[in-house]
Amino acid sequence: MRFSEGKGHPVVATHSADTVGKVQRFVVDASQSRVVALVLKKTAGKAEVLRWDDVITFGPDAVTVESAGRLVQPDGQLARLADKKHAVLGRRVLTDAGNEVGEVDDVEFDPVDGSIRHLLTTGGEIAGSQLLGLGSYALMVRQT
Amino acid sequence: MTVLMRVTEVSGRPVVTLHGDDVAQVRDVVYGGGNGEVAGFTLSGRGLLAGPLKQGLPWSGVRALGRDAVIIDDESVFRPRDDVVARAQARGGDVFGSQVLTDAGLELGEVVDVVIDVDAYADVVGYEIDPTEAVSKDNKRVLIPLPDTLAVSGERLIVPASAVDFVTDDLAGFGAAVEEFRARLSQTGPEA
Repeated sequence: MRFSEGKGHPVVATHSADTVGKVQRFVVDASQSRVVALVLKKTAGKAEVLRWDDVITFGPDAVTVESAGRLVQPDGQLARLADKKHAVLGRRVLTDAGNEVGEVDDVEFDPVDGSIRHLLTTGGEIAGSQLLGLGSYALMVRQT
Repeated sequence: MTVLMRVTEVSGRPVVTLHGDDVAQVRDVVYGGGNGEVAGFTLSGRGLLAGPLKQGLPWSGVRALGRDAVIIDDESVFRPRDDVVARAQARGGDVFGSQVLTDAGLELGEVVDVVIDVDAYADVVGYEIDPTEAVSKDNKRVLIPLPDTLAVSGERLIVPASAVDFVTDDLAGFGAAVEEFRARLSQTGPEA
């Protein structure tokens, strides 16, 4: 599935059948090449981050979670990654050889385990296994 | 494969860690003098108002020098600026503005840029010069290849007379010119 397809998915609590929010943004840990959390919008409270490990299923039409109680206000490393500054879409992509590849248009991820399969960039497709880091300046990838 | 670059193009490039953070930008290139290597870089902070940094980047800390950025593992490779600069000045210093003279006594021109090969380590392979009429009639800047080692003083550098045969105005073809020039030197003279 692509980030562009998953964005806007309703997040539904299986205990109450309530919608607890909508997927706004994917939180990526580049060093693990995977999605580690979702940032939601339209949540009832201030807790608007859902850890990937608390997702029951990332389905074709909705994301399921046990209850709204699973949403958190992140701290530490997760807060840093969930910051808007670390959003992946639109990000500059730079190789470890110091050459720019382009910008991230979209990301293909595995909805089962959250692993990143490919980056779709303005300069071509990049395998998720090439990701090195995501910082203030760029998304770093291994040059092939 | 050789990757050639003019050092004036390197100034201002961001210094980026493998984590993707831009931690500095290149201010000046520091040369290792007579043996024709880049010793490292002095640095500025990022952003419009940022000034020079007290930290410098020795070449040993550079992971890659690419078209768009200088890549380092992380900021632990920085050294006090004075260490990076002092080591280099002890062996030569700045070549910009120096006159290039052949060992046959012909003035070739004045150095306006330095060409480095950044493939494995940063080797200075040539100079871009503002040429005298002996080299170019139309005064356009040209590239001259350098031998592996070179005699440099504060104001002048001496190159073998055969360097004139390998002058080009195109960086794309310059890598081959350097290789041919150095191959000829190794055939003909022990000084190469």
